[in-house]
Amino acid sequence: MNKPSLQTLTINEEFADKIRIEYRNTQIIKWAPILVLLALIIFFSVVRGNSFASLNNLVAILNQLAIPLLVACGLTFVIMLGSIDLSIDGTVGMAGSLLAVLVLNSKNTNDLGILGIVLAILASVLVGFIIGSVHVKLKIPSFMVSFGFLYIGKGIATLSYGGIPAQISDSLLMKLPKVVFLGIPFITWIAIIMFVVSFFIQEYTPLGRHIFAVGTDENIPRSVGVNVDRVKIKVFTYAGLLFGIAGALGAIRLGQGQAQIGQDLMFPAQAAVVVGGTSLSGGKGGVVNTLIGTIIIVVLDNGLALAGVNPYIKTGIQGFIILTAVALTISRGHKVISK
Amino acid sequence: MKKGILILLVVSLILSITACNTPAAKTDNSTQAPASNTSEQSKPAEAAQPAEASKPAVIDYKNFQIDPSKISKEKLNTTLYVAASVRGLDNPYIVTIIQGMDLFTKYLDSIGQKYEKQTLDSGGSNDKEVDNMKQFAAKANGNAIAYSDPNESAIAPALAEAMAASGGFIGTAWNKPDDVNPWDYDPNWVIHTSPDNVVGGYNISKALSDAIGGGGEIFVLEGMLGNTAATDRAKGLEKYLAENPNLKVVNRDTANWDTKQALTLVETWLNKNPNVKGIWAANDNMATGAIQALDKAGLKGKVAVVGIDATTDMIKAIDQGFATATVSSNGYLQGGYTLAILYAAWAGLIDPAQMPQEYRKFATPSMLVTKDNVKQYIADYIDKAPQFDFSKIFYAKAD
Repeated sequence: MNKPSLQTLTINEEFADKIRIEYRNTQIIKWAPILVLLALIIFFSVVRGNSFASLNNLVAILNQLAIPLLVACGLTFVIMLGSIDLSIDGTVGMAGSLLAVLVLNSKNTNDLGILGIVLAILASVLVGFIIGSVHVKLKIPSFMVSFGFLYIGKGIATLSYGGIPAQISDSLLMKLPKVVFLGIPFITWIAIIMFVVSFFIQEYTPLGRHIFAVGTDENIPRSVGVNVDRVKIKVFTYAGLLFGIAGALGAIRLGQGQAQIGQDLMFPAQAAVVVGGTSLSGGKGGVVNTLIGTIIIVVLDNGLALAGVNPYIKTGIQGFIILTAVALTISRGHKVISK
Repeated sequence: MKKGILILLVVSLILSITACNTPAAKTDNSTQAPASNTSEQSKPAEAAQPAEASKPAVIDYKNFQIDPSKISKEKLNTTLYVAASVRGLDNPYIVTIIQGMDLFTKYLDSIGQKYEKQTLDSGGSNDKEVDNMKQFAAKANGNAIAYSDPNESAIAPALAEAMAASGGFIGTAWNKPDDVNPWDYDPNWVIHTSPDNVVGGYNISKALSDAIGGGGEIFVLEGMLGNTAATDRAKGLEKYLAENPNLKVVNRDTANWDTKQALTLVETWLNKNPNVKGIWAANDNMATGAIQALDKAGLKGKVAVVGIDATTDMIKAIDQGFATATVSSNGYLQGGYTLAILYAAWAGLIDPAQMPQEYRKFATPSMLVTKDNVKQYIADYIDKAPQFDFSKIFYAKAD
């Protein structure tokens, strides 16, 4: 980024010039995640052309994309507020485990069918609501509240099946992971639908605009009469909903409910959000960025698995590439404060 | 609003605490029920007390049997603290260890021993496991026996030391440093046992190879890298591969013992090698994930899958023909008999310091489960709680 050439005469012209340069920079930043994604796709297609670029692998990637996308979408709004939700692993595991013991399964006589799915997701929504409320009303940092609920969620999950995971034997749920519509797996459709809903909320509802405003500086919306607390609680509750759906899909995909369904989802989701260009300090970004970010993370995982990289160095390489992607995609400059 | 949320929090806390207490309440009942036996049992115990003094010098450990009449009334009426220290209850295999402890405490009920049992969950943290053990040992004031699965080899001595400081007895399983042995902490570190993982890894490799006609492409899902059990199981595979070059490993990675990660890896690999014939997984959790991935690709039952641990899911999969083999390390045996040996030491029936070394460090049996013996296995271990005679304390010594 070159120093702006300020061969201007009036203050007006200088201002217009600055705006133009800033706009150009944001355009570059906006496209950076897509460029990183393209680079990865081209790289893996060259290295593992037949298998990576195959139709089957595309379906596999779409399948693997569903749960991280749901989780990352929920997290995006939370991060846009400038808050954080660390409860993901616990909440997702809880929803998945509860689902498995509520529908027809190998452990007990429950057979609630669809109602079981709804109840499991509702439990997660409730957790999201409690996290938001405790965070807002008791003025405890979201970091701490959600960290507590990470363990509470895991605890409930483990308690619900008492050690030996419940196998789902509901015939409808067992068929679902194999259902494909227009070439796209069923669970991915759910994720896509929820992504569209999230996008709608972000772009076309007052809540969406409030999220941006609260994340930038919550005093401003407060001073114009926005109920900031309510916005925050809504966002955490919505995140709970998405985590719950992710947990339910995870259990359906795995064919059983166990606490590990949520294992290791949180940090990749955060990486996806940040790689996509959403700022951890809030107020910037959005779910479209997160979609790109999630695809980057999933393609990276998938590509490295196909490339047959030595497992001892694979995780290291993964970390290095994520760091590079972040370095390329997040906006910097003297105005950005990094904490 | 603030008040409402506080009340909500408190209510949910109370609910969760009551939920947690339910299983504990059951154990209370079971301890109380046989209390009436205590008086009957203690009579012969008194009479037999002098016999204990004239214990023969040479003990036949192999056939050693706990004789409840030789345990003093005082010991029986002392509350013995019984614990199993494990890494996370979300693992089905670890649950069988806890169930082994439960089976053993039923035996304690039957002989009228007063006890209190506890599960020490380290959640995979070394520090926490050592701290748990210290607190447990301090509370019990010497009247403690604990089965421990050290989170990593390096902390086994620290666990033994924690127990030794209070005078209780500990038995470890799976992990310990090669150069430290139970007899370095006489008499408190009584035994160290481990199923032979190399043999397990080798046996499932052989079963896999047999199932696919001796050759073909296979996937390998390894356990957590750097973990003793994962390394040893992989060693068993390597050994078999060296002898049978027809087995071709086309993809190999770690899925960190995790079902979900295994599912993702196999799903991805199948696009690269659709002609795979077998999948070798270092544990059953990962094997289950592999089967789920195969199911989605329409290959369930067509590709051979092997694992280790004999989880209920895997046993069922073998029974239905979706999996080929697993190895049962038998957590019931490990948990129950380790505690039985420790109990004998605490009760003064055996003196660990006098025991030969082969009885202080030994392998516990592991059993290959395939479609040939899966029905029998289900009948013995799944359909009913396994039955063990814990008075024969060295029953679980493999050799």
